[in-house]
Amino acid sequence: MNQTSPERQGKGTVFVRPEICKGCSFCIDFCPTHCLEFTKDFNAKGYHFPILTRPEDCSGCDLCGLYCPDFAIYGERWKDIDARQAKGAVPAPPAAPKSLAAPRAQDPEPADPKGVLTGIHFMDGDHAACEGALAAGCRFVAGYPITPSTEVVERFAARIPMVGGIFIQMEDELASSIAVQGAVWGGQKSLSVTSGPGFSLMMEHIGLAAITETPGVWVDVQRGGPSTGLPTLPGQADMMQAKWGSHGDYEIIAIVPNSPQECFDLMIKAFNLSEIYRCPVMFMMDEVVGHMVERVAIPPASEIKVVPRKWTRKPKDEYRAFATTEDDPVPEMTKAGAGYRIHVTGLTHDERGYPAMNAGAQAKLVRRLVGKIRDNADRLMDVREDGVEGADVVVVSYGITSRIAMSAVEEARKRGVKVGHLRLVVAWPFPANRMRELAKTVKVFIMPELNMGQMVLEIERAVAGAARVVSLPHAGGSVHEPETILAAILEAGR
Amino acid sequence: MSENTTATLLRDIDSINPVMPYLRQERIPHIWCPSCGIGTTVNCFTRALTESGMNLDEIAIVSGIGCTGRVAGYMNLDSFHTTHGRAIPFATGLKLANPKLKVVVYSGDGDLTAIGGNHLMHAARRNMDLMVICVNNFTYGMTGGQVAPTTPLGAKQTTMPFGNYEAPFSLPFLADACGATYVARWTVFHVRQLAKAMLEGLRKRGFVFIEALSPCPTLYQRRNKRGDGVDELKFYKENSVVKHGADTKEVGLTFNGPIVVGKFVDRERPTWLDAMNEHFAKVLGSEYTPYGGQGG
Repeated sequence: MNQTSPERQGKGTVFVRPEICKGCSFCIDFCPTHCLEFTKDFNAKGYHFPILTRPEDCSGCDLCGLYCPDFAIYGERWKDIDARQAKGAVPAPPAAPKSLAAPRAQDPEPADPKGVLTGIHFMDGDHAACEGALAAGCRFVAGYPITPSTEVVERFAARIPMVGGIFIQMEDELASSIAVQGAVWGGQKSLSVTSGPGFSLMMEHIGLAAITETPGVWVDVQRGGPSTGLPTLPGQADMMQAKWGSHGDYEIIAIVPNSPQECFDLMIKAFNLSEIYRCPVMFMMDEVVGHMVERVAIPPASEIKVVPRKWTRKPKDEYRAFATTEDDPVPEMTKAGAGYRIHVTGLTHDERGYPAMNAGAQAKLVRRLVGKIRDNADRLMDVREDGVEGADVVVVSYGITSRIAMSAVEEARKRGVKVGHLRLVVAWPFPANRMRELAKTVKVFIMPELNMGQMVLEIERAVAGAARVVSLPHAGGSVHEPETILAAILEAGR
Repeated sequence: MSENTTATLLRDIDSINPVMPYLRQERIPHIWCPSCGIGTTVNCFTRALTESGMNLDEIAIVSGIGCTGRVAGYMNLDSFHTTHGRAIPFATGLKLANPKLKVVVYSGDGDLTAIGGNHLMHAARRNMDLMVICVNNFTYGMTGGQVAPTTPLGAKQTTMPFGNYEAPFSLPFLADACGATYVARWTVFHVRQLAKAMLEGLRKRGFVFIEALSPCPTLYQRRNKRGDGVDELKFYKENSVVKHGADTKEVGLTFNGPIVVGKFVDRERPTWLDAMNEHFAKVLGSEYTPYGGQGG
């Protein structure tokens, strides 16, 4: 058998890496001068690999290199090799770009005034949510029309040309929920908006955002379900879906406003938390909060605190896109075009972002994705308490239902019941520790919600029998009657 | 012994496979089967990148799921391996967030035209400035050889065990009808032409669709008794007919029939972003600052 030899016999030669050859014979069959043959040897994987048997015929045309699907062979002309060696130059990988000198700006900064409509307004919750997003620095929205959320995107479409950004109405919610993630990796802050049926379609990409740690806000203006349900009427029955809707283990943050003013204020909080924790933040409105019109005060931009993205300042050779440290479970971020050549995948990955298909990598990644939220549940807790200390009965509520609950609580107090009210502003992670603590003194928790009993399960889980837990379910389509809640309080306080 | 000889040769002459600088070399060897053509399309793509002279830091590659969906993970570019069928909408967001990027979608026929078919249609309609490389091997490779929207009539697949009776898509016709500005089809036999098409695609503004026919020796070829990859390349060689500018209505594929290859469409239309900027400038006047994107 002839052997490949560096001696010059033809116009060129080939270079082979036998260890990665899979023996397809493309190079041998399509070599225009038929100068290659299989060896009789095997490589470690059991494949024969090519060898230059007629070096005198090799033109160095590199057609073998162009065909080789395994990147195991290529050809080069001697004159090119000589020219290179004369220059002493080895073809180098593309030069490492200079490291990005972006400031590490995790400290809040004032909002960009271009997006802030400072003043006193009379607007509905959908519009206020849009203004909150603009104030928070959101410059990219992808959406798809669906009642009762459409006003959010309609306003954004009308406002964004003057602010400077992109609105695109995609072909469906599958597309809009991933277009926003593309925009995040392109450097923007992004939002997608929908209601129940669209929220279901978006679930696949909630999982993608969770595993790729893509910050962003997803708005669900909840309506009655399941399926098409009650498009124009309220519900709160997507609360568990917000937490558990995508497959696999992950954590999200969910925020529940109860007024147009909160749609503005809490939207800024939602964006800030998504940047700090690099996880999807669910903004769980409902039809009534979305459509009720109230006073909304938008402060000057200088008074709005916006958390910038956690841009890395590391040089290229040191940056690992998903590496974390012991004192910081959230990796630093970059964007496409910054020169870091990142790889981002929905597969389980290592610190470089490369797929790692094994139990060890899975454990490491999933524990961190879950832990960065769960372990910070107390820090993330945002509840509004009214007279819960020393109360016998505590009504726990969120969203639109909290406004009905408040009036029932006030009425019950007039009738002598020691009753408090606790409102969940951040519903996920659930403030289990706070509930556990209250259960030491509170005798009964009452939870009215516009579903057949969802968040009440979390109270039951947290108090674990230490107090009685009463569910006040409502299938949606309207809000509770205050009298229903009042009756439950009076019954519990008896 | 020949390994040693080759290794000596490699040491003696400093040289590097021209594809290697474009790859995340620590991830090679790749997962593709022996005589699969996807790697060949990658060679063509890297040659096109070299020829283009473009700044590689400004090129991003987005893949969906499947065998071809793994391409992004091997490329030493900003690379995104997204969900099944959704590479195009992800790429849409990426491109619009930073229009300075050249965004390439690299995925397979099942990913792009079945589960992602709607996104393909709409991105072409909008003339989103993306280059889509669709490696068409007529089957779902990663999951074991199920029928695809591209499977020719009569071909056997695991979910068409008695032969396919569903009419397939003709992808160039689909892309053309939806408004793509550049449509070409080549096979992995046509390496130089495919590389040239990719180069033209990189330089084109607007929605570019390049179909690259490729063997799937493990599933499509084997189940249909078509030999292995090299036999399929020979089939491509013997049965391809180059017809530049062919009417895309007439380039449909059959199980054993001729394969029309060539550049079918090359036209100009405003991209989505150009249309937006132009339109807003017209209707909003000085109130509007043309959008250049993040950092642009």
